[in-house]
Amino acid sequence: MNHPIVRYILLFSLLLPAHLPLRAQVINWGNLQDGQRHWINAHTGAQYGMVFGLGYAYQLADSEFPVIANAAYSFPSGNNLLDDFKAKLGTQVRLLQMNDFHFAVKAHGIFRGYENELVRLLNWGMDLSGTIGYYRPSWFVAGEAGFDKAISTRFKHTDTYKKQYPDVKDGWYAPATGGNFNYGLQGGVSFGRHDITLSGGGLLQEDFKKKPLLPFYLLLGYNYRW
Amino acid sequence: MVLKNNLSVLSFAAVLLLTSCSTEDRTIDGVGNLVPRTVDQDANLPAIQANNARLHAEASGPANGTMVVVLHGGPGGDYRYLLPCKDLAQQGYRVVLYDQRGSGLSQRFPKKSYTAHGAGAMDVMYDDLSAVIAHYRTSPTQKVVLLGHSWGGILASGYAGKHPDNIQGVIACEAGGLKWDDIKAYVKDSRSFKLWGELLNDAAFLDQFITGKEDQHEVLDYKMSLLVSRNDITGEGTIDPSVSWRNGAVIMDALFDVGDTYHIDFSAGLDRFKKPVLFFHSENNKAYPDTWAKQITNAYPSVRLVKVPGVGHDGIITNHKAWTETTMPAILTYLRSLP
Repeated sequence: MNHPIVRYILLFSLLLPAHLPLRAQVINWGNLQDGQRHWINAHTGAQYGMVFGLGYAYQLADSEFPVIANAAYSFPSGNNLLDDFKAKLGTQVRLLQMNDFHFAVKAHGIFRGYENELVRLLNWGMDLSGTIGYYRPSWFVAGEAGFDKAISTRFKHTDTYKKQYPDVKDGWYAPATGGNFNYGLQGGVSFGRHDITLSGGGLLQEDFKKKPLLPFYLLLGYNYRW
Repeated sequence: MVLKNNLSVLSFAAVLLLTSCSTEDRTIDGVGNLVPRTVDQDANLPAIQANNARLHAEASGPANGTMVVVLHGGPGGDYRYLLPCKDLAQQGYRVVLYDQRGSGLSQRFPKKSYTAHGAGAMDVMYDDLSAVIAHYRTSPTQKVVLLGHSWGGILASGYAGKHPDNIQGVIACEAGGLKWDDIKAYVKDSRSFKLWGELLNDAAFLDQFITGKEDQHEVLDYKMSLLVSRNDITGEGTIDPSVSWRNGAVIMDALFDVGDTYHIDFSAGLDRFKKPVLFFHSENNKAYPDTWAKQITNAYPSVRLVKVPGVGHDGIITNHKAWTETTMPAILTYLRSLP
């Protein structure tokens, strides 16, 4: 926790009052209603594994540039549901509106964990992304693209790994240990206080050559607004 | 105002992202940080020079004894788990173990150094093996037997078809297949990526933490090491823990690419190899039933099939009971029967 990058991330996280999952909490910018400031979200699908997640969002400003702050937690399925997780904190803002066309950007700090019989990883990261699309009050479709950077990672190896390699160095590793681009589409329908959303697309590692083991994402989400 | 504030936050985020790349600290691709050094990085490791590669290697037993060259699995594994084979040295055999190029603690090479050969990429592996044999062979009449486990069994079989006169015997342990379609089918059957299972999700989730560029060996080898430990289908790591020094991710990726592109047939020429072959398979490997063992071994003109009870894929050699009571006795009987 003494790593300078970690301190920067902590500072950044404090500056952002809440956060949004990269694609999970999809917003219908065409259906922002007066008096509705809260969203809760549930989502499931494929995103670096078969994942489940919950989120909360709060609209900070009703201005020409609405700002929505979010917090979310997700985890992959498996025998142990507590060993791997991803928590995100951030905001998204709609920067441009021309009739029913909207352009929005998001920035999120990420804290995630991974554990198997060989190592325990904790990672501070960040994702930046944008969406541009056609939004109507009852439906929308948009393109999205973003970049998720694993900025600094703490490695704590188990005795099993240390038996294999006793000189392994535990601790925080920087600079960045990884990064992936995402690109795809999102869409959904809105009715009453509800949104049902679907987002999907491809993933590409930062070298633009290799792909993750699951080279795509496909997430189904549900929002309740009030 | 709101826009200005949020642009500031985004700018801060972007600057943080960019500056993070120049932080001086412990690095994931630093030599020796997460995976052991290779022989070209650590002069204290036992090594030989063979076919323009520095290979991690060792030999034990009388120099003039029948040579048993041990070939590890993978591609991209190492010989640490095959160290029980050194017991053969006490029986008068010259036991040679080496990490194949790009594997274990042997020297690393770029992916293109393999793929640039096209279908001939496997010839590099055969030429390395010829060079290792030549390095340790003390006379032209010294008998040489290949003992290959898994991918090592495939390599040994391919070598026997390619250079039938250079070796006197082949011992293969659960070579997944010899024709490419069989290899693909075996790999598919032996890896359970259940949609909701721990294995798939552990492997996929890791991609958010660590990504390695092509030929970034330290990163890719480490990442591979986190994914290979235990397999309930093949029985690997279920009785005895899996042990290794260091995986070779790039050569594994390269040879699978080459195999898949050119449909390499490792049984080519085996009809010319008339010497007897000893072939082991294990009782607990669910992906290797008797029918599969018979199908794969049909390629050998002369073969003796031995089923090792109570163990899985690795346990044929790594399990002490199986090794001392079944595998090694069968190997000794085989070696003594060679003309």
